[in-house]
Amino acid sequence: MAEVGEVTEGCRLPVLRRNQDNEDEWPLAEILSVKDISGRKLFYVHYIDFNKRLDEWVTHDRLDLKKIQFPKKEAKTPTKNGLPGSRPGSPEREVKRKVEVVSPATPVPASTETTQASVFPQNGSARRAVAAQPGRKRKSNCLGTDEDSQDSSDGIPSAPRMTGSLVSDRSHDDIITRMKNIECIELGRHRLKPWYFSPYPQELTTLPVLYLCEFCLKYVKSLKCLQRHLTKCDLRHPPGNEIYRKGTISFFEIDGRKNKSYSQNLCLLAKCFLDHKTLYYDTDPFLFYVMTEYDCKGFHIVGYFSKEKESTEDYNVACILTLPPYQRRGYGKLLIEFSYELSKVEGKTGTPEKPLSDLGLLSYRSYWSQTILEILMNLKSENGERPQITINEISEITSIKKEDVISTLQYLNLINYYKGQYILTLSEDIVDGHERAMLKRILRIDSKCLHFTPKDWSKRGKW
Amino acid sequence: MSKLSFRARALDAAKPLPVYRGKDMPDLNDCVSINRAVPQMPTGMEKEEESEHHLQRAISAQQVFREKKESMVIPVPEAESNVNYYNRLYKGEFKQPKQFIHIQPFNLDNEQPDYDMDSEDETLLNRLNRKMEIKPLQFEIMIDRLEKASSNQLVTLQEAKLLLNEDDYLIKAVYDYWVRKRKNCRGPSLIPQIKQEKRDGSTNNDPYVAFRRRTEKMQTRKNRKNDEASYEKMLKLRREFSRAITILEMIKRREKTKRELLHLTLEVVEKRYHLGDYGGEILNEVKLNRPDKEMSTTPATLHNGNHHKVQECKVKHPHHPSLKEDMSDVVRQKKKYPKKPKIESVITPQQPTTEPLPVISKSDIKQYDFHSSDEDEFPQVPSPVSEPEEENDPDGPCAFRRRAGCQYYAPRLDQTNYSCENSELAELDKLRYRHCLTTLTVPRRCIGFARRRIGRGGRVIMDRISTEHDPVLKQIDPEMLNSFSSSSQTVDFSSNFSRTNASNKHCENRLSLSEIISNIRSCRLQCFQPRLLNLQDSDSEECTSRKPGQTVNNKRVSAASVALLNTSKNGISVTGGITEEQFQTHQQQLVQMQRQQLAQLQQKQQSQHSSQQTHPKAQGSSTSDCMSKTLDSASAHFAASAVVSAPAPSRSEVTKEQNTSHNNINGVVQPSGTSKTLYSTNMALSSSPGISAVQLVRTVGHSTTNHLIPALCTSSPQTLPMNNSCLTNAVHLNNVSVVSPVNVHINARTSAPSPTALKLATVAASMDRVPKVTPSSAISSIARENHEPERLGLNGIAETTVAMEVT
Repeated sequence: MAEVGEVTEGCRLPVLRRNQDNEDEWPLAEILSVKDISGRKLFYVHYIDFNKRLDEWVTHDRLDLKKIQFPKKEAKTPTKNGLPGSRPGSPEREVKRKVEVVSPATPVPASTETTQASVFPQNGSARRAVAAQPGRKRKSNCLGTDEDSQDSSDGIPSAPRMTGSLVSDRSHDDIITRMKNIECIELGRHRLKPWYFSPYPQELTTLPVLYLCEFCLKYVKSLKCLQRHLTKCDLRHPPGNEIYRKGTISFFEIDGRKNKSYSQNLCLLAKCFLDHKTLYYDTDPFLFYVMTEYDCKGFHIVGYFSKEKESTEDYNVACILTLPPYQRRGYGKLLIEFSYELSKVEGKTGTPEKPLSDLGLLSYRSYWSQTILEILMNLKSENGERPQITINEISEITSIKKEDVISTLQYLNLINYYKGQYILTLSEDIVDGHERAMLKRILRIDSKCLHFTPKDWSKRGKW
Repeated sequence: MSKLSFRARALDAAKPLPVYRGKDMPDLNDCVSINRAVPQMPTGMEKEEESEHHLQRAISAQQVFREKKESMVIPVPEAESNVNYYNRLYKGEFKQPKQFIHIQPFNLDNEQPDYDMDSEDETLLNRLNRKMEIKPLQFEIMIDRLEKASSNQLVTLQEAKLLLNEDDYLIKAVYDYWVRKRKNCRGPSLIPQIKQEKRDGSTNNDPYVAFRRRTEKMQTRKNRKNDEASYEKMLKLRREFSRAITILEMIKRREKTKRELLHLTLEVVEKRYHLGDYGGEILNEVKLNRPDKEMSTTPATLHNGNHHKVQECKVKHPHHPSLKEDMSDVVRQKKKYPKKPKIESVITPQQPTTEPLPVISKSDIKQYDFHSSDEDEFPQVPSPVSEPEEENDPDGPCAFRRRAGCQYYAPRLDQTNYSCENSELAELDKLRYRHCLTTLTVPRRCIGFARRRIGRGGRVIMDRISTEHDPVLKQIDPEMLNSFSSSSQTVDFSSNFSRTNASNKHCENRLSLSEIISNIRSCRLQCFQPRLLNLQDSDSEECTSRKPGQTVNNKRVSAASVALLNTSKNGISVTGGITEEQFQTHQQQLVQMQRQQLAQLQQKQQSQHSSQQTHPKAQGSSTSDCMSKTLDSASAHFAASAVVSAPAPSRSEVTKEQNTSHNNINGVVQPSGTSKTLYSTNMALSSSPGISAVQLVRTVGHSTTNHLIPALCTSSPQTLPMNNSCLTNAVHLNNVSVVSPVNVHINARTSAPSPTALKLATVAASMDRVPKVTPSSAISSIARENHEPERLGLNGIAETTVAMEVT
């Protein structure tokens, strides 16, 4: 039985958590941070094998101190890096730091656990690049802890590539980005609990509520400020061109270069709910498609997806988000559908940029499944023969990339090898499930309502 | 069934897949596993997250149920949509337009302040509103401007006042409030902003820094206008252009200055050309005068304007007016009596000789200054001389030319041997080494007034000066000069001046014996000639016996010289007074005399030790006790010259005495030659520093010519045509023949001067043992007062010189 005072960063212990069914659970959790607020200790816990979005600050009474596992930092340090943990203040280390400063590829580490790896950047960073393994287990830098048993203590991450999307695994790299920093966001009628870190101005992170203008997404520190802002902000819709409207649903296209302010505000907001997104670079090379729902107050943002103006890897979506209040109501699928509609207009196949989040994977699989099944179910037999279709045809019809088609077919377990050839089998199970799902899927994109002319951004020379 | 007996082919995306549905579907047991044939597609998720509990549960639930179950969904943090003040917050309604909303992104900037007032501000605003009216927007604009004008450093109140167009009291209130609030602010600005990256890369890892610029990407874009690299290049370019401009401006200035210098130089050259200042004399004068412009007519010392010695200036200054007065007086006199000789002149014989010269120099100086000194005038300059004097003759192409960058210093007074007892004398001392009557040895002739200086490689350069007396001077027989040196000079001048009244002049000369003597003494300095000729003083004793005859000759000579200036015919007529017998007797006398001298000389040479004793004696004779003798010697020279010059036109008469005279010459000259060499060595030891080198060269040359005389007697072809030409042509050519009669044995009449030459040679031989009386000592010891004005006169001549190089 350990004392509360002994609970430090890196400790693992069961933490009481109430699940969706309102049942108490004691999943294993890791202490990421400890803070003291007016004599009361709070522990930031990450539930192992639970998504980070469920991480939270807990009081000591939710900790099961009897089953605490203290971090074994020496043992956990990879032997190939050679060095044990930190030796703060040693002259040797100071020298090493200077070496690092000189090396352009390795920014100055802020952590106390800088080790040999950073002195030999080719060791750590090269390994990192090859492995493409996000440093989820990366150590807490700023808090000076070295307790994460899984910490690889590898090299300092260099600046991410500038091409490509806003999706990044960098959020794993830093203890700061591993922890939510915004308590609550008020957006229009909604109060949102952010899931992840977002680089809002640091002075705003201590606020109990961060107020956002519903239309321009400007962040202010207080309701009074929001009131003042609203006297000056006359936006009632996203500041872009409306390219789709059906019913109350509209899509606005926003150029990340031409409307930086809104794009950045949108990204900051989105980052609260997207783990793998990075805001490292500016929004210039992106277009933002904001889905809104209209009411008498204006066009309220529901969700959005961003898209590279020019993608070298057939990405038609970079980041995609349905704001939490609108989730599980089909808006996500609508966003995905819209993204494929754009690809259809462009005459390309596309795929979302990786990695997908859990919700992203589920959403996309669902969309792909329904879309492909819809095609397969609607295949009519010609001349009494069995209907048949190629994977390429499915891809062309749906603009879903061929690999995604195959993976979906595999996931749905439709592909079988029968009598020397591959066949697609639609079981009753599948058909019934699909039909039930499609009944629920009311919101659909009407391509006739899309007023969209793709631009050739490469010819423009500008993003 | 051998399911595993075959291997499934790879899934071909282009190959049609038959779709089996429902009852048509084959038994799945008949189907072959395709795990190996169809590639397993990645989920696209990160591995760690893929294994997350809720996802797996959701996936399995989906696979089982083919639809979502509420309990199987992935849990997310709750979101509430119960903001009850929403309608109050978002006032008004927005009617959906029929058309799609189209927006011009740049119209969004409506210049609204980014700062939003908070409740704290509202309190202040309410307080302020009791005294004045201030609207929230107004306040926000103020804060907004203050914030945006500040970085880490807050703007000052003064800056704020410039920034804000408001009432001072309000500004003060808001500013103070803002400063206070800003200090308490936890963030870098009251307007919350996303942390910006720093270019030094220190923020590369800062999680709160977002939206960094894609510099690398931008560089790949060709059309990026705000590319930082090109911006920096532009900055650099601008900097370098401005540097280039600076350099060009400096070059421009330099070239302008150069052009100005060129123009000024050209102007100076033109002025000098008009003035005839080919030798740079006037220029030097002016340059000397420049610093002390007010002294106007300071006689020139070579001086380089900038390096004028102040001390010298001071020395000059006091006596300057007197000199000027003197000169102006002279000018007036000259004007009054342009052609009248100065019989009544107090200063006696020197006066006429010196008189014209200062005038010329003065006018020259004035002229030059008048033209060249642009900025300064000559306040004290007397009225310019009306007639430009004859001494203004140009020097010709050989004139001394100043070299740029070369410093020409004025001669220093203290380098002379003179003690400046008299200020005026000190002034005049500078003129000491001016042009003087010069005789060459190799072409044995008098070249008139010249100045010696040492050129490159020790070459002696003769700067000649053309004077009005040139014709007369050219007539001077070097032998005459040798015999009584500068006295001839004086006589020449006097004769020149007394063209109309020669006899009168001569009377004058003869009357003022002391002056003549002093002239002789003083002019010894001025007259440059083969050194042996200086020895006349010592043999003046021997000359006494022939005094009467010589005086007669002297008369005739003076007349002849004057006549020669006019026509050769006159000369003949005048010289006709000398009979053949007279000449013969005279010659015989001379021969006798020379023999005596020879004997004496041999005696003296044998008794070398006694030379020192005889020397003061000789000196004494030259100074005071043997006045008459000196005069006699001078007259004898004149006689000789008369003898030489008179028969010169009638050269056709080649006498039988030629041989005898020739013999005489040979007999006498040889010893003299030896003595000359001895003398030259003496000279090297005793001569004054100023002219020693030149003298050495000249004397050596002279001695060699003396040695060569026998040879020349037989072969000197160049003199013969010269003499012939003299018959027909110019007087000066005639003079040449006169000047170098010793070498011309062909001339029958040359036998006449040869005795004098012999005599002089013997004198030289006798003088050989006598230490040389240096010019300086002679001048100092003898009448200095006479010497100085004379040199002043010479200075006037010296204004224009002809450079002549003697190698």
